[in-house]
Amino acid sequence: MKLIGLLMAFAGWLIPVVALVLTQSTAARMIVSLLGIAISLVGILVVMNKAHLKNAIWKP
Amino acid sequence: MIRMDQGLKRCSWIVVVMLLLCGLPAWAQSQSAASNAPAAAAQPPAPAMDAPLNVKTAQPPSTDDLVKGDPSGTKTGTVNDVIVSDTNKGVTLADTVNQVGQNRIAINFVWTLITGFLVMFMQAGFAIVETGLCRAKNANHTMMMNFMVYGFGLFAFWVCGFALQMGGCAPAGTLGGANPLNSEHTISLLGKAWGIFGTRGFFLSGTTYDVAIMVLFLFQMVFMDTALTIVTGAAAERWKYIAFAVSSVFMGAITYPLFANWAWGGGWLSQLGVNFGLGHGYADFAGSGVVHAVGGVTALAMAMIIGPRIGKFNRNGTPNAMPGHDIVIVLTGCFILAFGWFGFNPGSTLGASGNGALRIGSIAVNTMLAGCTGSFGALLYMWMRYGKPDASMTGNGLLAGLVAITAPSGFVNTVSSAIIGLVAGVLVCLSVEFVERVLKVDDPVGAISVHGTNGLWGVISVGLFADGASNYGGSWNGVNGPVRGLFYGDASQLIAQLIGVGTLIGFVFGLSYAANFVIDLVVGQRVSAEDELAGLDIPEMGALCYPEFVLKPDSMPVGVSASRTTEMATPPLRVAQETA
Repeated sequence: MKLIGLLMAFAGWLIPVVALVLTQSTAARMIVSLLGIAISLVGILVVMNKAHLKNAIWKP
Repeated sequence: MIRMDQGLKRCSWIVVVMLLLCGLPAWAQSQSAASNAPAAAAQPPAPAMDAPLNVKTAQPPSTDDLVKGDPSGTKTGTVNDVIVSDTNKGVTLADTVNQVGQNRIAINFVWTLITGFLVMFMQAGFAIVETGLCRAKNANHTMMMNFMVYGFGLFAFWVCGFALQMGGCAPAGTLGGANPLNSEHTISLLGKAWGIFGTRGFFLSGTTYDVAIMVLFLFQMVFMDTALTIVTGAAAERWKYIAFAVSSVFMGAITYPLFANWAWGGGWLSQLGVNFGLGHGYADFAGSGVVHAVGGVTALAMAMIIGPRIGKFNRNGTPNAMPGHDIVIVLTGCFILAFGWFGFNPGSTLGASGNGALRIGSIAVNTMLAGCTGSFGALLYMWMRYGKPDASMTGNGLLAGLVAITAPSGFVNTVSSAIIGLVAGVLVCLSVEFVERVLKVDDPVGAISVHGTNGLWGVISVGLFADGASNYGGSWNGVNGPVRGLFYGDASQLIAQLIGVGTLIGFVFGLSYAANFVIDLVVGQRVSAEDELAGLDIPEMGALCYPEFVLKPDSMPVGVSASRTTEMATPPLRVAQETA
């Protein structure tokens, strides 16, 4: 799960960068940029963090 | 009819008189100009550059005058002090022009160096803020991390960090060029050239043994060190010292320089405007993203890998307060940091003369205003939510405002600065609660929220509030004209900023996480539970910070009872003491 989260973080970065070439529309670029940030955040804060909390030191 | 004729005659006379009155001055001016024209033409031609100047008109003080002393200061710094290239000729026009040029660069050198010294002093502020927010049993360890991160970072930056970051950044006009830094490694992708890292300046040797490059190195080095010291706060009280050393060297050599190159060294983020028409490319005046967000997201990666301190969370996941041991040094440290920020932001003009650098006054005012409203925001939030104006969170609000204004400080007006700071002050409180209660990530000093969350907010705020009034030499990142944000008519600038945010979250976090995960596998990031409970001063450093104190051993077990938790954590403390 940690690896999947890490890959999501990288993907969220790469998608808007690649989209720069695919479209010149300001609105489309804005949406894709926000989408990319959301994917990265989900990957880090949800997927990776959940994997870390699975064996957290405070859990019984 | 006769009366009408007389009236017409009178009107005619009046018109004639008025025309004369209006025309006379114009005629006089034209006559004056005509009379001056021959005089101007008669002026002697400009002297040749190497021709000696008649310096007697400058009335230089004589040797007799000078030996009497100069209490009024009117005889010191005259034509006598202009450096001459040929003593036989005396002062020439070429000497004078060269002196003017060198004076401009000298002003910029001195400005950049002094502001760099101020930023270096921020290390002391970070050190005591973090130590004050940690428990006394870890004070030596926390201070020593903050102390040696300076050395580890500096060494790594000298070896290769600076070259990777700034090796292709030339020319730096305000510093006289720094021309040897002219080699950026690029890759061709998607039909564009993408600058990835610089390749000149390893060990500051060869052609980079240059006066301007030394100034640039010092200034960039202290910025890099600021980013490194952020991470020590998030991993405090449980970070193995050897792992800290390795991690810091990696960050100073690779992680920080890569992103800094992309933003400041001529890399691909800075070229988003030139290559893709996104405003002026990623714009980060003094480093909300480059310095603070890089430090903040790395802090998040470290805190996730290393895990929470023993006793921080109960078995049901609710957090316990772990109050710091000295609020006095925490707030003193905040003041030191606020003072150092006057080097951080105004110094990022890299000069005080030319290329719009006189905006340093505006940048300084923006900086202090955002810090002020940041502390307001946090103070009001805590007061309204918990009933007390909490001290450590107010300090954090000040820092959050300063972090957020760092990127936009050179592009925005005072009203925007106040808004950016106020938002940052509230945002840091919300973020601290979110990190602790939702993510269940233990960040003893609040580094993730202060530097990460508000660093990202600062980057975004450039894309919103940049007002188009700044003009640093006529262009920014190779795009002519001033930087404008969404509220001033350029939505594409906001996209460039969002791509910068995506890079910080996706790439910088990912690289930091991967590197520190490997370090964890090789040397282990976390101290043993016994050492952690005893405090790291003796097990890790071999000496107590406060040897005459009687330290109460922390025997709180994992999953401390709910009754103990309630005892410890009154609502303001639960959040407030976990900050910086």
